[in-house]
Amino acid sequence: MSTRPAASRVPFYRNVKTLGVLAQVIFAVVVVLAAVLIYHNVSSALNRSHVPADFSFLGVRAGIPIAETPIPYTPSDSYARAFLIGVLNTLKVALVGVVLASVLGVVVGVMRLSANWLLRQLAKLYVETIRNTPLAVQIVFWYTAILTPLPPRILSAVRWPGGVLVSNQGVALPWPYPTPAFASWLPYLIAAVVLGVAAYLLRRRQLRRADRPGNPLVPALVVALVVAVAGYLLSGTTPLPTGTTTSFRQESGIATVFVDANGDGKLDAGERKLAFTPVVAHVAKGVLTTQTQDLSESRRIDYGRFRFPPLHRGEYDRATVAFADPAKAEGLSIAFVHRPYQGIVYRDDNGNGRYGPGEELSTVGAVKRGFAAELRLTVEGFRRRLATDRDGQVRIPRFTTGAARAATSGGGANMSPAQLFAAPSQAPASSDQPTLETRFETPAPRPMIVSRPTIPISTYFGGLTLSSNYLALLLGLVIYTASFIAEIVRGGIQAVPGGQREAAKALGLSDLQTFRLVVFPQALRIILPPMISQYLNLTKNSSLAPLAAYVELFAITTIIASQTGASVPVTIMLIASYIVISLVFALILNAVNARLALVER
Amino acid sequence: MTSQRKPPVLRRGAMGWLRANLFSSWGNALASVVTVVALVYLAGELLLWMFSQAHWGPVWANLKLFAVYRYPSELLWRPFAASAVVLLLLGATAGAGRRSGVSIVGGVFWWFFSLAAALTLVGLAAWPVARWGWMAVALAGLMGYGAGRIRPGLGRALPWSWGASLLVVVALLNGFGADGALRSVSTKEWGGFMLTLILSIVGIAISFPLGIALALGRRSRLPVIRAVCVGFIEIVRGAPLIMWLFIASLMVPLVLDVSPSAVGPLSRAMVAVTLFSAAYMAENVRGGLQAVPKGQYEAAQALGLSGWQRTRLIVLPQALRAVIPAIVGQAIALFKDTSLVFIVGLFDFFNVGNIVANQNASLLIPGGVRLELSLFLAVVYWFFAYRMSVASQQLERQLGVGER
Repeated sequence: MSTRPAASRVPFYRNVKTLGVLAQVIFAVVVVLAAVLIYHNVSSALNRSHVPADFSFLGVRAGIPIAETPIPYTPSDSYARAFLIGVLNTLKVALVGVVLASVLGVVVGVMRLSANWLLRQLAKLYVETIRNTPLAVQIVFWYTAILTPLPPRILSAVRWPGGVLVSNQGVALPWPYPTPAFASWLPYLIAAVVLGVAAYLLRRRQLRRADRPGNPLVPALVVALVVAVAGYLLSGTTPLPTGTTTSFRQESGIATVFVDANGDGKLDAGERKLAFTPVVAHVAKGVLTTQTQDLSESRRIDYGRFRFPPLHRGEYDRATVAFADPAKAEGLSIAFVHRPYQGIVYRDDNGNGRYGPGEELSTVGAVKRGFAAELRLTVEGFRRRLATDRDGQVRIPRFTTGAARAATSGGGANMSPAQLFAAPSQAPASSDQPTLETRFETPAPRPMIVSRPTIPISTYFGGLTLSSNYLALLLGLVIYTASFIAEIVRGGIQAVPGGQREAAKALGLSDLQTFRLVVFPQALRIILPPMISQYLNLTKNSSLAPLAAYVELFAITTIIASQTGASVPVTIMLIASYIVISLVFALILNAVNARLALVER
Repeated sequence: MTSQRKPPVLRRGAMGWLRANLFSSWGNALASVVTVVALVYLAGELLLWMFSQAHWGPVWANLKLFAVYRYPSELLWRPFAASAVVLLLLGATAGAGRRSGVSIVGGVFWWFFSLAAALTLVGLAAWPVARWGWMAVALAGLMGYGAGRIRPGLGRALPWSWGASLLVVVALLNGFGADGALRSVSTKEWGGFMLTLILSIVGIAISFPLGIALALGRRSRLPVIRAVCVGFIEIVRGAPLIMWLFIASLMVPLVLDVSPSAVGPLSRAMVAVTLFSAAYMAENVRGGLQAVPKGQYEAAQALGLSGWQRTRLIVLPQALRAVIPAIVGQAIALFKDTSLVFIVGLFDFFNVGNIVANQNASLLIPGGVRLELSLFLAVVYWFFAYRMSVASQQLERQLGVGER
């Protein structure tokens, strides 16, 4: 009988440890060989094709026009900067999207548990439809089917209450900006933060000593708010630097507010432009001209319409619209859709003195057509309150003096784009074009100014513009992700044991208190981890931006790849940036999650 | 003294239901009324638009494009034959499974059968090209179901038949040789809903074994293997599919060191979709592996099973059973995500919509037909995805009952 001393007799090819090491070595060799093969193939393919294989192309001028740039950018900037714009645009849509999707998701998730049968069913319908339809279809739906054909072109943008403008170029909102006088408010703001923090700490200690429940954040916020508001009122207005001057270019309707250091009244290189400064533009008498057009608007065609840049009540003393050439417009009349800037040219066939449907159609030929006419809007006493943009410019409609139109054929309306955007020094001193009587007041600013959007020409000026590309992507992402978040929220709330609710009831808490103080905090701990993965999904899904022609990280990279052919560097850039964004996002959110879980326990 | 009380609130009957569910408080009543008014208004507008203002012509005229894109018209019988094979097998599976109580396949089968039948009716009414094709598909399904009912013994052959059917379908669609009824059709002509289905089914089918391998690798004791698997899974999951599709279209020809024209867009998309799906599959399977109690491993070890036997016979069957709902969920996600292959220049169902929107006939309509097209696409995608999610929920319920 021989006993077997265990390990010594096991041959090496049956020893689990040796086998493990061997398996790993073989696996590693296979992986490395594959990597070498790929490297060899890629490098030989690159050698043959002469496309950039390193990152040196990033310094080259990109020449890519981008509509939305959170930081200054021109097509003559480098590829690296264009890429940075892409990253920032991704963050812009992802961060806003995460917040909105959470709000919508929580609302729908709570609605799914509502006592109201109808609301419950509605929420269910929302969830089941949205999450079973591809996001790509939804984004294309919002972009091409809803936002792009938004009825009005920019000149007939819908005006919502509060001065919000809506057109197919997007939505423009009034938005606050810090003026050059912001510095006078800054000390108060710092004081508000310091006092707020102090109030928070004090109140927390007080509550702890008294061993009472309560939220120290509320008094802290009140203190901070009061100090900030009082500071704003106290800081009042601050005069602009001496030598503040405005230079106006009549051809483009753009005025620049700057500090005239050398006192020559012209904007020279190196002179400081004043961003976000209040300006009141006055034009004693100005004339705009336009022609009637037959415009296809969403699902119909509007015949014989004329549209001037919108003018609102209080912006002018007197405004009249007349035919530029009354002889040619024999028998035609003008009806206003929006007095005085938008209307229809018609012939009063039934003689009732009013416009009736069908009267805008000219009966020449078989094709439906409106009347062609040139119109002229004369505005007296035009004045508009504006705030300069980040380049220190304000923009008003391109008024001409009426005389210039009659005398020369090359008036403002007919100028080529090159002429319009020519540098100010090259603009003619208007020997053939009489200058308008204009005046630009620059009142002393308060620390902040609300810039309101206006339409001086075929783009928005002022306020904050959310382009339809951005909105389409944002809407798609928010609505899609919210349907998943709603299910997570519902699951989380349902997972809180019923006994908790009953106990809260027994303590005499109201329904709202039960939800706010007992159920929701507990549900939050269950909800948060899956919520984080939804946030990451939303961020990754923002790469569907090309479907809405929004230029973010992925879209700009595809453009860079097609322009340079640098496939390998572009691949590395894309993977690296998504991994970094995902990691940073996950780190922050997981830290929040860890903190929450700790605090609640 | 007892104080007077109001009579208890009626809780039965139609009025009681209304009171309990819609008018239980002032706030609820207000919400109900507002919702009803808004819904009625919206539904009215939608119906009015659908039946009086919408231009469905472009959708109707391009049904073939939506179904199979540029697949040659005279060879349309081949996609029909492929569908017939699949429905036949589905029918047989449903029929054979009826006795063993697997009703979920039955539900899916009847649903697909009704779709084929409905399309036959549509064909009889207004789509002459497809009339007989759909009829044949529906009949094949019925035949399969009948065969499955009469000869349940067929059930044993089904797993192999499903595997073989994949080859048959590919062979039918791709064809061989230069001419004749079975001549080969370039994948450049493939598209429409057919391509969407091919991408989703092939993607799930191939990523399934890959995902299992990755999940096992991730749970391996061997650090090198584990590190490689973790790295692959996390990097792939860290970036969106559309980016991987784009990168595949850039890199596949470079990695293989061949000219870009040698690898068609379909193969590139397939590579990206499969690898992407495999990474997610691995995470699903890992969840299942973690759910298998430790005692099961130990019991298997005690019985003297080798590592491989333990995994194959004890652990995986339990793990996979637990994650079937998650895998169906992933199939739905992949089905929706195939709409992203537009980025590599494929014309799947979604991208055909873009073609149709830019056709002359569509552009001549004031305002275009984007709204109609979006709704059509959404409804079709929704139809399939929703059916799958219902099946997944049934499965979840069934498995949950079995577990306890």
